[in-house]
Amino acid sequence: MKIIVLNCGSSSIKYQLFEMPAKAVLAKGIVDKIGLKGAAIKHKRSDGAEVKLEGEILDHQSGIEFLLGILISEKYGSIKSLDEIDAVGHRVVHAGEKFSGSVYITEEVIAALEDCVDLAPLHNPPNLKGIYAMKDLLPEVPQVGVFDTAFHQTMPPKAYLYGLPYSLYEKYKIRRYGFHGTSHKYVSKRACEALGLDISTQKIITCHLGNGASMAAIDGGKSVDTSMGMTPLEGLIMGTRCGDLDVGALLYIADKEETSIPYTSTLVNKFSGMLGISGISSDMRDIEIAAENGNERAKIAMEMYQYRVRKYIGAYAAAMGGVDMIIFTGGIGENDTVTRTKSLEGLEFFGVKIDVEKSLKSRGKEELISTPDSKVTVIVVPTDEELMIASDTYEIYEQIAQEINN
Amino acid sequence: MSETLADFSLGKRPQTKGMIQKVGVVGCGTVGQEIVRTISEYGIDVVFLDVNEERVQEAFVHIGEQLDEVINHWGLTPGEKRAILSRIKGTTDYADLAECDIVIESISSRKKGTSLEIRKEIFQKIEAVVKPDAIISSNIATLMISDLSNGLKHPERAIGMHFILPINKTNVIEVVKGINSSDEAFSHVAKFAGMINKGIIKLNESPGNIVTRMLVTTINEACEILMEGVASVSDIDLAMRESTGYMFGPFEMADRIGLDKVLKYMENLYQEFGDKKYKPSPIIKRLVRANYLGRITDRGFYNYKSGKPVDQTVTCAVIK
Repeated sequence: MKIIVLNCGSSSIKYQLFEMPAKAVLAKGIVDKIGLKGAAIKHKRSDGAEVKLEGEILDHQSGIEFLLGILISEKYGSIKSLDEIDAVGHRVVHAGEKFSGSVYITEEVIAALEDCVDLAPLHNPPNLKGIYAMKDLLPEVPQVGVFDTAFHQTMPPKAYLYGLPYSLYEKYKIRRYGFHGTSHKYVSKRACEALGLDISTQKIITCHLGNGASMAAIDGGKSVDTSMGMTPLEGLIMGTRCGDLDVGALLYIADKEETSIPYTSTLVNKFSGMLGISGISSDMRDIEIAAENGNERAKIAMEMYQYRVRKYIGAYAAAMGGVDMIIFTGGIGENDTVTRTKSLEGLEFFGVKIDVEKSLKSRGKEELISTPDSKVTVIVVPTDEELMIASDTYEIYEQIAQEINN
Repeated sequence: MSETLADFSLGKRPQTKGMIQKVGVVGCGTVGQEIVRTISEYGIDVVFLDVNEERVQEAFVHIGEQLDEVINHWGLTPGEKRAILSRIKGTTDYADLAECDIVIESISSRKKGTSLEIRKEIFQKIEAVVKPDAIISSNIATLMISDLSNGLKHPERAIGMHFILPINKTNVIEVVKGINSSDEAFSHVAKFAGMINKGIIKLNESPGNIVTRMLVTTINEACEILMEGVASVSDIDLAMRESTGYMFGPFEMADRIGLDKVLKYMENLYQEFGDKKYKPSPIIKRLVRANYLGRITDRGFYNYKSGKPVDQTVTCAVIK
């Protein structure tokens, strides 16, 4: 069966067409600059055929219409007709407290997601646009929502509540939600699969280190804590986001610099993190080169980054009463050998023993980097959120089919 | 011919027109610059036109400086600044407005006498180059869109848009329907306002709309209070800011708009309505004669140093 996976952003749509359960990618691409000048679709088929088509793309619906048109075209297509598409999987950023897993999208689900727009004003509206467009274009095809926040819904209140008046939680649902849930879930499952371990017996710490970065404590397959909070700003130091910060410092800055709320938001989201500290770049590769050339601020930035990861590993090991496995994923987690290796320095005392040589060489592939006698297994697992969305969509589709048959 | 996306349309629904990709601005004084900058900040291409190359260059420099000021307050990254500037093109040739979906006339209202004839001529020059369905608009305060559009072949495409200063901080535009303005023109402008994150206030045309009419009478009344020796410039401003939550007091506002412009608004409204509440206060006339025009000349009701008010220029007689 064929499943199309959509990740709709504010002006772009990433898509992949999967053959399931074979997990084969038949085609993928990106609809870019929706509603803007220079709008185009870059499409790539599994046999390597590639094309970039330009034209006017008014909105998400026309973008999706064009991409479907390409998928069924003789020249670049992978299917003969739209009837071949069995299901659609959508990435949805914020599902608030409404969903703790992926769901079949019904009118009630859509209404619930509309309610969450306030929590993710930049992300949820385009996600919903994608859902509405597919409802219109392929009304008979079931759609499934896979949420970034869902996996972390298993966190207990002690982990997700903030030390604020409880009434604010009741009134506005101010709490930790966490993000990258699809990735944390995928890599923890995948690592256990690869190592032949039963996930329900494992205490796992996952480190999704990309431009945005978060960590999760996964006990018995369930997320019990995560570093991102109500928004993706909390936790680790990121490319341009500050991560954990004393709120008092922010109030002080806003007062001294006379910054408005939007400007303060830009300050902590775009000027901070590795870019803000190093003054060089938000890209770890540039910072590493500068550090090698003796740039002090680049060195400090890297040390801060590694230290923050290490601190969270310690915290999550304590939270779970131990740790069996640490997983690295994301652009930096998979490819930045130095950051990964150094983040684990000094953790021998609780059983982390790294094969340093191997860790410094392993790039972009699934590989164990701990020594055979290490008490804690450390493994790199490349993330694949699209595949996870396709798998969840497939599972839900099968369930529905079974229910109908029964 | 090479393939385009249109070749892959499923034809499920008609591709409606309605995208606003390029906007023109004629006149790039302080207000024009703010309009240009705001439009570009929201990802829309802007072409601005001014009378000579020097003024075009000057406008670019000023817009760059304004953006730097935002960067200094952490509101924008240098990369975003480059992107904003890359969407702005300056020109002295009306032909460069040909591709614009909306053209906004925003020439300075500083020159003496009524600018009605000049603006009408600009409207016609715009109409001569733009597409048949392009909207022609004017950022008008006290003039009437029906007067400006009566020389157009298609006056139904003309509609007034009054941007409220400071444009990057206010959330609404006054959209003024003239006698001939079409519903289509209105809905197009409403859509454009949404694209630059502004709400609209829909008005039937009337000189001064809401904002200018309320402002000039408030400024006049503030001048009365000042002349009577009741309170100082800064105390009147303070009282109004605190009591009403206005962003600026009446004198601060007058200095921001420019006293010559305030005077002109008053004269136009007085001429239109004949009501003495619009009659310019003698203080404003005296300040304008002395070239105390407000922030633009660093002197108005206040003296300014590096854009910040340092002291007051007008004190009132007090009985001792």
